[in-house]
Amino acid sequence: MRDRLESIAERLARASVVDRLVISLAALVTAVLIGGVLVFVSGAFASCRTGLEMGGATFCYNPMQVYYELFLGALGHPLEGGWTLTNYSLATTLQRTTLLIFSGLSVAVAFRAGLLNIGTQGQLVVGGLATAVTVVYAAAVVPSGFIGTVVLIPLGVLAGALAGGVYGAVPGALKAYADANEVITTIMLNIIAVGITSTLLSWQFQDPNSPNPQTAPVPEYAEIPTVPVVGFGGRMDFSLLALAFAVALMIGIAWLFARTSFGYELRTSGIQPGAAAYGGVDEKRMTVASMTLSGALGGIGGAFWVLMVHGRWIENVPSLGFDGIAVSVLAGNSPIGVGAAAFLFGIFDSGGNAIGTATDVPPELVGILTGLIILFVAMPEFFRMLGRRYVTVDSASPARTDGGDAGANDGGDADA
Amino acid sequence: MSEPESGTTDGTGPTAAVETNTADLNGTNSDLAVHLDGITKRFPGVVANDDVDLRVERGTVHALLGENGAGKTTLMNVLYGLYRPDEGRVVIDGEERAFDSPRDAIDAGIGMIHQHFMLVDPMTVAENIALGNEPTKWFGMAVDRDRIDREIRDLCDRYGFEVDPDATVEDVSVGVQQRVEILKALFRGADVLILDEPTAVLTPQEVEGLYDVLEELTDQGKTIIFITHKLEEATHAADAITVLRDGVSVGTVDPDRTDREALAERMVGREVILEADSDPVETGDTVLSTRDVTVEDDRGVEVVSGIDLDVRAGEILGIAGVDGNGQAELIEAITGLRIPDEGTIDYAGDDITAWSRRRRIENGMAYIPEDRQKRGLVMPFDLVENGVLGSQRSGRFASGGRIDWPGVRDHAEEIIETYDVRPPDANAAAQSFSGGNQQKFIVGREFERDPSLVVATHPTRGVDIGSTEFIHDRLLELRREGVAVLLVSSNLDEIQSLSDRLAVMYEGEFIDVTEPDAVTEEELGLRMAGQRPAGEADGQPNPGESR
Repeated sequence: MRDRLESIAERLARASVVDRLVISLAALVTAVLIGGVLVFVSGAFASCRTGLEMGGATFCYNPMQVYYELFLGALGHPLEGGWTLTNYSLATTLQRTTLLIFSGLSVAVAFRAGLLNIGTQGQLVVGGLATAVTVVYAAAVVPSGFIGTVVLIPLGVLAGALAGGVYGAVPGALKAYADANEVITTIMLNIIAVGITSTLLSWQFQDPNSPNPQTAPVPEYAEIPTVPVVGFGGRMDFSLLALAFAVALMIGIAWLFARTSFGYELRTSGIQPGAAAYGGVDEKRMTVASMTLSGALGGIGGAFWVLMVHGRWIENVPSLGFDGIAVSVLAGNSPIGVGAAAFLFGIFDSGGNAIGTATDVPPELVGILTGLIILFVAMPEFFRMLGRRYVTVDSASPARTDGGDAGANDGGDADA
Repeated sequence: MSEPESGTTDGTGPTAAVETNTADLNGTNSDLAVHLDGITKRFPGVVANDDVDLRVERGTVHALLGENGAGKTTLMNVLYGLYRPDEGRVVIDGEERAFDSPRDAIDAGIGMIHQHFMLVDPMTVAENIALGNEPTKWFGMAVDRDRIDREIRDLCDRYGFEVDPDATVEDVSVGVQQRVEILKALFRGADVLILDEPTAVLTPQEVEGLYDVLEELTDQGKTIIFITHKLEEATHAADAITVLRDGVSVGTVDPDRTDREALAERMVGREVILEADSDPVETGDTVLSTRDVTVEDDRGVEVVSGIDLDVRAGEILGIAGVDGNGQAELIEAITGLRIPDEGTIDYAGDDITAWSRRRRIENGMAYIPEDRQKRGLVMPFDLVENGVLGSQRSGRFASGGRIDWPGVRDHAEEIIETYDVRPPDANAAAQSFSGGNQQKFIVGREFERDPSLVVATHPTRGVDIGSTEFIHDRLLELRREGVAVLLVSSNLDEIQSLSDRLAVMYEGEFIDVTEPDAVTEEELGLRMAGQRPAGEADGQPNPGESR
């Protein structure tokens, strides 16, 4: 039994890219099938006028329809008449994708450095407020119109990145210099972030013209502009420019990992801290630096949430940062994979809305469906990460040649 | 087949060497405890064993000799049920067997003692021996401790082991731990014992003790197969030696009828010069000196106590000692991985006590670490990425924060070629290489740094003879070029033949500093066990002053 588990763990840990894609696809299909059965059976317990009569029970929900809405509804029903590319549903999908790329990258950077940053949410909350406040106050001294757009948006994003970065550096420094576990500190800092921002809001930044807890709106010219002609116009709260920026950032992070000294040191620290120290990496500084970068990315996520979606900071920040953890795990912490995973999450979000409009399926059931898919797709990847830890630690390796003492001991303790 | 005499220095090459006992072996098959017949084991891209025959007579010690990557461990893993052979038969006591797991092999009376012991440190010797095989009483409700004790004492008496069954494993010496492993196999009823590099962790005295144990075991009818790449061990302890090279058996010889040179040639496939040539060289300025360096380990225990040492340009200072006497911590303090609690370290005229590891690397300090899999290599990285470890910010491989990967790749491929890393595949992950080949790559990377000081800990541990010779030559070449070398090794041959001066470390202090030729191996062994040389009872000698 244990031998079996070991060999499975090892095979997962060594799976090639193609293997992993096939595994992910198979997991997706399995999740869809199980979810379909679940939806169908649940239909028997709901009441409805029309449904499938079978064996004395009425099955209210049609799984095919549910999945149709989930996947195609998220794109605005491309198979139906009158479809345009720049529809509202797709805008919602891509808006979500854009924001999750930022928070997913934030988590991925920390994970790759061997740090479990659960604090992206807090960094995003703090970064978002910093963006909104900076832009609102700077708008008073910056000319409006085109110049305002060009000055205020980069300024706002920079403010978000700085605030998020500082807020990420705190648990990094606590980890490096006080040996405080970053999982605990980042979770606590998430709560503190909510408290700080709420206090600041009521103390200084509350919009006097609104009863809701939110800042004053940024001027319209300081919101992320939509691309003329092709762009998703009007009140869709999405801009292709933002998506393009997110994708560029994604590629930039991938490049940072692969090509730079900093990225090399970061990856080495994440995989094997002992080797990083041997190779001259200052472990403490690397911890602070990678947490700062991670926090800055979370802060940028907050900045775009403010400047693209609401045009202001509102107290009730959605759980983009927590979803970023799922996105990153699903992506195997690969920056490019984050893009794909974020898109999948975007589809779920927007498709969930479509299901709600088109069917009687309750949102809770939709949550279960998408949860199942994420669970199934993420699990092999999760076990792979676990397995890799196990395999690396025990230095078991298949004998490429005879194993002097590197490969000789794999499975050697199988009988112990 | 059997030729009359040994020697084989006549240039006919190893294949013409003596084949002993083959007539005997063929004649009396029933006397074979183990017969591996035509074993072939393939792994993706490599044939680890190619039609290997191994005939082990009952009641003998049989050495399996070969370089790293020759296929010794693979062959034994086939015998122990860890691998299934692609071709060939495994015959135990004249009966053909197919093992699916080590459990089957144990049931067939085969026991394996791994190089790294599989013991639970906080448990007692008796508990470790019985673990997984406990006799029970009260219908399986409780472990029958009395019976365990009785059986272990019986075994100890029979084989003359002096082992206290009630001692905790972490409290006993490595030599005793090895005996516990042997007892564990005997307790499970093993008739054939496979020992994987059994001497790698032992002091010379403990090695002698092991030889006695092996003799006692074979006298009592047990059969021993031991894996080694050390010639002395094979010739000293074995009744027959089977040599493997590149996965092929190159014959079985009688150790009494051959000599070391012939064996080495057979193993490597070419002539080998066994003694490293270390004519003294003009030494230059002092490159490294430590004064009163005291280091605590992770638990806060003082493990290095006031060490003074000096290494000059063009000289090799050897530090001998049993592992765990503070060498590791001293070296980590010198190389910047650990901060000394007291004392100063000077390097090329600068006080570097507070320097970062990176700064030390940048200033020409090369370091072959003790733990290659934890420190020396990033195991999931390929050799290209590992080739730049430590130089990732140096001007040679990086500019403007970017790494010059094509340059790094060329460098890695150069190391692979020069240091004969096999298989020569720069794109393969470090973890897929055998220990010896990993070591060769690290040595190559560090030597090619253009260093002014080389700190080498166990530079040839686990490395085969051919590559050991090459690493020693390179080390001496660096020394001739005026590089200072600090060498830590538990291999006495190595440290005696390479060092210009030799310090023996015991419990955090230097017991003795001498010219390597001035002491015998026995004296060294005694000093490694803590016995101070006569007349130097007080104070510890300073290798800086002893010249």
